[in-house]
Amino acid sequence: MKSFALITVILTGWLLLSAVSDFPSWGDTESPANDYRLSQHYITETFPESSVPNMVTAVLADYRGYDTMFETVVIFVAGIAIMSILRRKPLDYLKDTGRETRSYKKDPDLIIDTTCRLMIPIIQLFALYVVAHGHHSPGGGFQGGVIFGASFILLALSRDLQAAQRWVPEKRVLNLAGIGILIYSGFGFACMILGSNFLDYEILHKIMPATPVEARSHSMLGVEIGVAFTCTAIMFSIYSNLASNGDMKETL
Amino acid sequence: MIDQSPALILLAPFLLAILLALLGIKREWLCFPLVIAGLAISVAASVVTLLRVIDEGTIQYFFGGWEPPFGINLRVDGLNALVALAVSTVSLLTAIYSKRAVPAETSDKVSQFYTLYLLSVTGLLGIVLTGDAFNLYVLIEISALTSYALIGMGSRRATLAAYKYLIMGTIGASFYLLGVGYLYIKTGSLNMYDIQEQIVANNLHGSPSIFVAFVVIIVGVWIKMAFFPLHSWLPNSYAYGPSTTSALLGPLVTKVMIYVMIRMILTVFGPEFAFDQLDWSNIIVWMSVIAILAASISALAQASLQKILAFLIIAEVGYMVGGVWLADKMGMIGSIYHIIADAFMTLCVFLFAGIIFTKTGRHDISAMEGLFTKMPLTMVGFLVGAFSLIGIPPTAGFFSKWYLIQGGISSGHYEYVAALLISSLINAVIFFRIIEIAYFGSKPAEGHGYHHNEEQKDGTMEASFSMLFPLLITAAVLLGIGLYNQEVVEIITNFVSQFNIGAIIL
Repeated sequence: MKSFALITVILTGWLLLSAVSDFPSWGDTESPANDYRLSQHYITETFPESSVPNMVTAVLADYRGYDTMFETVVIFVAGIAIMSILRRKPLDYLKDTGRETRSYKKDPDLIIDTTCRLMIPIIQLFALYVVAHGHHSPGGGFQGGVIFGASFILLALSRDLQAAQRWVPEKRVLNLAGIGILIYSGFGFACMILGSNFLDYEILHKIMPATPVEARSHSMLGVEIGVAFTCTAIMFSIYSNLASNGDMKETL
Repeated sequence: MIDQSPALILLAPFLLAILLALLGIKREWLCFPLVIAGLAISVAASVVTLLRVIDEGTIQYFFGGWEPPFGINLRVDGLNALVALAVSTVSLLTAIYSKRAVPAETSDKVSQFYTLYLLSVTGLLGIVLTGDAFNLYVLIEISALTSYALIGMGSRRATLAAYKYLIMGTIGASFYLLGVGYLYIKTGSLNMYDIQEQIVANNLHGSPSIFVAFVVIIVGVWIKMAFFPLHSWLPNSYAYGPSTTSALLGPLVTKVMIYVMIRMILTVFGPEFAFDQLDWSNIIVWMSVIAILAASISALAQASLQKILAFLIIAEVGYMVGGVWLADKMGMIGSIYHIIADAFMTLCVFLFAGIIFTKTGRHDISAMEGLFTKMPLTMVGFLVGAFSLIGIPPTAGFFSKWYLIQGGISSGHYEYVAALLISSLINAVIFFRIIEIAYFGSKPAEGHGYHHNEEQKDGTMEASFSMLFPLLITAAVLLGIGLYNQEVVEIITNFVSQFNIGAIIL
C-alpha cells in the first residue's frame, strides 16, 4: 500500500512539473497574468475608482469583496466547527475521566507577568493600527485581527485561561465573531436596501458624508473592521478550545 | 427586488445563519423558525430566478457593481437555475424533518448545528450560482468545512469518519485550487467565461498547462464527488453522522460536485477540448461502468440501511460521470436531469432511514419488520423513492435512466447501458428485500437503544408530522418531475444545445 502511495505521489508530481516548461518566465512583464486587462485595470484604475492607494486592499475588499466576505465566513466556520466537536461541559468531562478537580491557578511569575503587562497593550494598539491603516499600507482586517487575538492568547499563556476569559468570556467571543460578519454583510445588505447590488458601496454615499468614490474607501475600512472582529474572536476561541481540550478549564 | 433574486437565493440563508449564531445560543426555540424562514426565502428566490431564466435567458448579477472579469458575478442559466432550485428545496425539506431529529441527536449544540447547516447550504448554493472559478473554491471550502463539523457531531465513530473525509476533501479541494492556479498563469483571468474566451482567443488548447489544469480539476472534483476508486470517505461519513446531516449532504454534495464537473467541461474548457481533443471518453465510461457495478455489489453486501444508501449514492455518481463522458447530447441531458432526480430520490430514502432510526433506534434492515401495517404513510413515501431508484415509471428515476440509456445507445457505449440495467436489477433486489421484510415480517420490531416504540392505540406508530410531511412532499416531487419530465428536459435541452457535443441526434 505504501509503495502504491509513493507511485501516486511521483506521478502527481511529474504531472504538475510537466507543465512548468510551458510557464511564462519569472517576472515576465508580457505574461498573461501581468499583461491581461484585468491586472492593468487594477493597477491604473484602483485609485480613481475607489480612492484607495493600496490596490491589494481594493482588490480584496472591493473588486473581490464577495470572496473576502466568504473567507471571513470560512474563519467563522472553523471556529464554530472546532467548538461544536470539542466543547464539552467541564463537569461531564471530569466525571468521564475520573480526574480530580484541582486548582488551576498558577503562581504568577513576576518577570513574565510584568513583561506581558507591558506587551499586551502595545500589541493591541499595533493591531488597531494595522486594521485602520489597511487601505494605505500593507495590513487589514485579517492581519490586525490575528494580532489582536494573539494578545489574548498571550494573556492566557502567561497566566491561565481564566484570566483571559475574564476579558473575553466564551459567549462574548461567539457574539464578537458573529457581529464581525454581520458588520461585513451589513454593508452589503445596506447597499441592497438602498437599491443597488450587494456590496456595491458606491450607493452608500447617500447615508455617508462622502462622494460616491470616497464611499467605497470608507466602506472598505468598515468591512475590514468587521473582518478584524471575527478574526480576533475566532483566534482566541480556537486556541482556548484546543488548548483546554474543550473543557475551558486547564490549559497547556 | 426582482433583479436581486439570484443573490437572495444564497444571501437569505447566509444572513439568517449569522443571526442564528448571535441569537440562537440562549433561545433554542428561535433556531428552527429562523432556519425555515431563511430556506423558504431561498426557495422562493430560486423559483423566481428559474422563471426569469426561462423568460429572459442567462441572468447576470454583479457583486459590488463590478463587471467581470474585474469583479465577481453570479451567472445563472438553465443548468444552474434548476440545480439551485433542487438544492434549496432539498435543504428546506431536510430542515423541516430536522425539527425533532436535531434536538434528539445533538442535544446541547442545537444552535451551532443549525448555524453550520445554513452555512453549508449557503456554500452549496454559492458553488452552483457563481460565475467565478476562484469564488467557487472559496465556497467549496465553506461547504466542506461545515460538512466535516456536521458529520463529526454524530456518534463516536462519526468523528473518525469526519476526519477521513477532512483529509480526502482537503486533497480534492487543493487539486481544484491548483488547477485554477494553472489556468490563471495561462489566461490571467479567474472568471469562467473569460477563461474560456482567453483559451479560445490565444489558442491555448494545445498548452500543457491547460491540460494539467484540466486533469487536476477533474480529479479534484472526482474526489469530492466520491467517484468509485476515490470514494472511501463517503460510506462511513454518511452512515455515522446525525440523520439530518446525512439527509442534507447525501442528496446534495455529490450532485453539486457533478454540476461543477459539467460546468468545468462545458463552460471553462469547452466540450471540444474535453471530449474531442482529449478523446478519453472510452476510458472514463469504462471507469464509470466499474464504479456502477462495484458500488451496487457493495450495496448488496451491506446490512445497515444507511450503508446501503451510501453505496447507492456512489453508484449514482457512476451513472452521472458516465453519462457526461458519453460525449453525447442525450447523455448530457440525462446526466443533468439525473442530478435533479437523484437529489430528490436520495433525499426520499435518507429521510426514510432517519425516520426508521428515530422510531426504532436501529440501522439494520431487520428493524423494518412489519412496518407496512405500523407506518403505512411512511412506507408509501419510501416506496416512491425506492421505485425511483430502481427506475419504475412514472417516477423521475425511470426517465433519467431512459435518457441516459438513449445516450449510451446513440454514442455506441453498450457496456454503459448494460451496467445501468444490471445496477437497476441490483437496486430492485435490495429494495424488494426491504419491502418483503417490511410487508411480510410479522413480528413487530422490538425497541432498542435510546428511542422507544410509541405505538398508538390502533397499533400504528406513524412518524410525527414534521418527519412525515417532508417525506411525502419529496415523494410527490419525484412523481411530479417524473410526469412533467418534458418541461424539465426542455430547459436542459435549451442549455445543452448551446454547446457542440458529439453526435447531434435530437
